[in-house]
Amino acid sequence: MRCVIVTPESTVRDAEADFVAVTLFDGELGIAPNHTPLIGRLGYGELRVRLADALERYYVEGGLLEVVGNVVSVLTERAVPAAQIDEAVARQQLLAVQERRALTPEQLTLRDKVSAQSRAQLRVARRAKAQQP
Amino acid sequence: MELIATVRFKRAMDRALAAVAYTERMKALVDHLIRSGLQARHPLLEPRSTICRATLLVLTANRGLCGGYNSSVLRLAYAHLEQLRQTAADVRLEVSGKRGIAAFRFRKLPLHERFTHFEDKPTFAEVDVLATRYLNEYLSGQIDRLDIVYTKFESASRQYAAVETLLPIEPLEGHLEPNNHRAVEYEFLPSAQSILEEVLPASFKVRLFKCFLDAAVSEQIARRVAMKSATENAEKMIVMLSMAYNRARQGQITSELLEILSGAEAMSK
Repeated sequence: MRCVIVTPESTVRDAEADFVAVTLFDGELGIAPNHTPLIGRLGYGELRVRLADALERYYVEGGLLEVVGNVVSVLTERAVPAAQIDEAVARQQLLAVQERRALTPEQLTLRDKVSAQSRAQLRVARRAKAQQP
Repeated sequence: MELIATVRFKRAMDRALAAVAYTERMKALVDHLIRSGLQARHPLLEPRSTICRATLLVLTANRGLCGGYNSSVLRLAYAHLEQLRQTAADVRLEVSGKRGIAAFRFRKLPLHERFTHFEDKPTFAEVDVLATRYLNEYLSGQIDRLDIVYTKFESASRQYAAVETLLPIEPLEGHLEPNNHRAVEYEFLPSAQSILEEVLPASFKVRLFKCFLDAAVSEQIARRVAMKSATENAEKMIVMLSMAYNRARQGQITSELLEILSGAEAMSK
């Protein structure tokens, strides 16, 4: 099975995988080889790829997932390896957005979106750290 | 200058190629969506019956010395602006690049927005801000149509100014090849409609991003060509000028020699 992660700016990963776990908009989904064709909407969260004994973790910010013919394609606006997430920046972003006043519905949705994104980043970073020996 | 442009062109080209992977996959996904018999209905897809407010985005360079790059975009932009004004009551102009801004100021055409921060490497995050604003404006009815004038990059030897309508998004027809394998049964999570809601803004954003990348690559190519001919022209001129200089110097020496000789002759007499 192949797992491809692309963003508009680059191809983050294009290699074999034994198992992929992605965060969809409403929860996690595991994909093993020969999965049924699927198109899904991604949420903000972790993407894990297992190949033999190695485990790769990424933070993925929304986008789409397509599974067809043993190829898992992840189309997202932003994908960062979990080790490269800057926790300080994410925390700052969360604090800033929580302090800002949101009065209109659009501002509220934006606030929810940004805080969900920064919380997801923190979560992914924490989990990656916890797993490290 | 030619060397600098060449290096920049290569870098811009790499970025443009990197974006291709995303657009290709996006296209394939849309293709698969349609193949599975999705009824595409979305406000972003439906053209408005009357177009009152249109926006024209023009992508030019921040700097000159790139041959006809800016002027060909601007020529097309003026023509398209006239055309838009005939159908829409209110046409807003947004221009990226100092050259374009200066040209519109010279013509005394009011600009609604101006951008100068898109250099030779536009990032997705920068374009995303712009794209999100357009999407919100379109969905809330503040604009009825969005057109873009930019330099389309077809190949390293062919780029041309082009007009495209970005909003409303053209119906997702794709290029279905009838002989292809039969439609795959997809599972949609959560639903096809929800997927469409994610696909449409994403495909709009990436299209806008691609316009910026195309413009950046084309600018570097145009600059390289312009600088190459400038270098060649200068070399030719150096040859000509040094020949003229040598001839003049030789002429002066000859005349001085003649003077001395004739002087010496006069003295000896």
